[in-house]
Amino acid sequence: MTAGPVAAPLTLACVLAAVVYAAGAARLRRRGDAWPWRRDCVFAAGCAAVVWGLTGPVPGEPFTAHAGRHLLTAMAGPALLAVARPLTLVLRLLPPGRPRRGLLRVAHSPVAGWLLFPPVAAAVDLGGLWLLYRTELWAAAHRHPLLGGLLELHMLLAGLLFAMAVCRLDPVRGRCGLPLRAVTLLAAGAAHAVLAKSLYVAGPPGTAFAAADLRAGAQLMYYGGDAVEVFLALVLAVQWYAATGHGRRPGTPFPRVRTDPAVYRRTTISAMSSRPPSATPRRVSRVSARGSGSSPA
Amino acid sequence: MSTSDPLAGTPAARRPEPRRSLLVCAVIGAAVMAAVDEIVFHQLLHWHHFYDRSTSGVALVSDGLLHTAELLALVAGFFLYADLRRRRALAPGHAWSGAFLGAGAFQVFDGIVDHKVLRVHQVRYGVDVTPYDWAWNLAGLALLVIGGVLLSRARRAGGRRPS
Repeated sequence: MTAGPVAAPLTLACVLAAVVYAAGAARLRRRGDAWPWRRDCVFAAGCAAVVWGLTGPVPGEPFTAHAGRHLLTAMAGPALLAVARPLTLVLRLLPPGRPRRGLLRVAHSPVAGWLLFPPVAAAVDLGGLWLLYRTELWAAAHRHPLLGGLLELHMLLAGLLFAMAVCRLDPVRGRCGLPLRAVTLLAAGAAHAVLAKSLYVAGPPGTAFAAADLRAGAQLMYYGGDAVEVFLALVLAVQWYAATGHGRRPGTPFPRVRTDPAVYRRTTISAMSSRPPSATPRRVSRVSARGSGSSPA
Repeated sequence: MSTSDPLAGTPAARRPEPRRSLLVCAVIGAAVMAAVDEIVFHQLLHWHHFYDRSTSGVALVSDGLLHTAELLALVAGFFLYADLRRRRALAPGHAWSGAFLGAGAFQVFDGIVDHKVLRVHQVRYGVDVTPYDWAWNLAGLALLVIGGVLLSRARRAGGRRPS
């Protein structure tokens, strides 16, 4: 199964999105907003992963190559795109007016809230995957290129939905606690691993892949899925670490150097001297920047 | 003085938390043991099989859950550990004992539940598996015993100089 007729427009859309993102981030920086460079890099990497999965050469036998493409277009790419907070960027860029209001209305609509409820997003993403591999859908997609292309598009969008629902970096409707998001990630990862292991012995119905191809593809799917899961888990862990750090002692940063008494003495003396300590305002401003970023309304 | 002394006024933040240290390091120990199992026995030695055809549906699901939980536990464990260090709440003795207890508990769980009860996979194929099973489970027990000894030592040390 390949992306077929949607490959070219999707590739174009990805390249366009990367250019728009880079230009938008540059405009924010010129204006004086803080927008870390790493987000530009992450977004570009996400676009590159999706484009590579859609059109680039992927080594391996047919099923292994498909697993590789799926990993790039539907998992790694969307996860990177979601982490770059595209919605936040667009909302910061758009001037007050109809387009911005419309986008906010969509982002805060009950439908978006439901779709971005982590278990629902996981069901949409993993459910589509199970249907594709465990029903006649695969064989049908092979016969009808347009269906195959639409399925590819669905996998990309569902992957994006899942990553956004789990990471919750963009300002969307509804707050969702870390435990639910972590448990959803666990369940989705387990479902992915089980599906990969079941493909190791039995390919999708109505297909005839070589056994060695099937095994290599299933293992790629299994371990590739692990890599994306660890990436998403790291995003959640960093969020938790930052949140507990700020919450525990509001207003004051964690003293970074405390173990070495000599260093400690030096930092305390510099804090007591008339020179204003440089660490505190920087940390506070970053917090406020993040706060404004998550609620631009 | 414009800012407060970073060390003053937070005695609670500096008190070691033995229970939390033990638990967090047990999570890390179990996850590291699982990663070692995956890397050494699955990938390097190819003793375990990726999929054993006798695996049942329940075993497959439990294996998938456990595998994903290991990955998440590895990430979560190291961040929780970093948080303990950041607050200087780490109790080293309890932490070490937790690491051994976690690793041993995972080893024994894998040896008994995965290999024998659910039969997800065996230690090695094509040979008499009994000595391998004994070695596997005894190694797990040894880790548990080390963890227990370390825990009792840490408790005694904690009792001598209460924090």
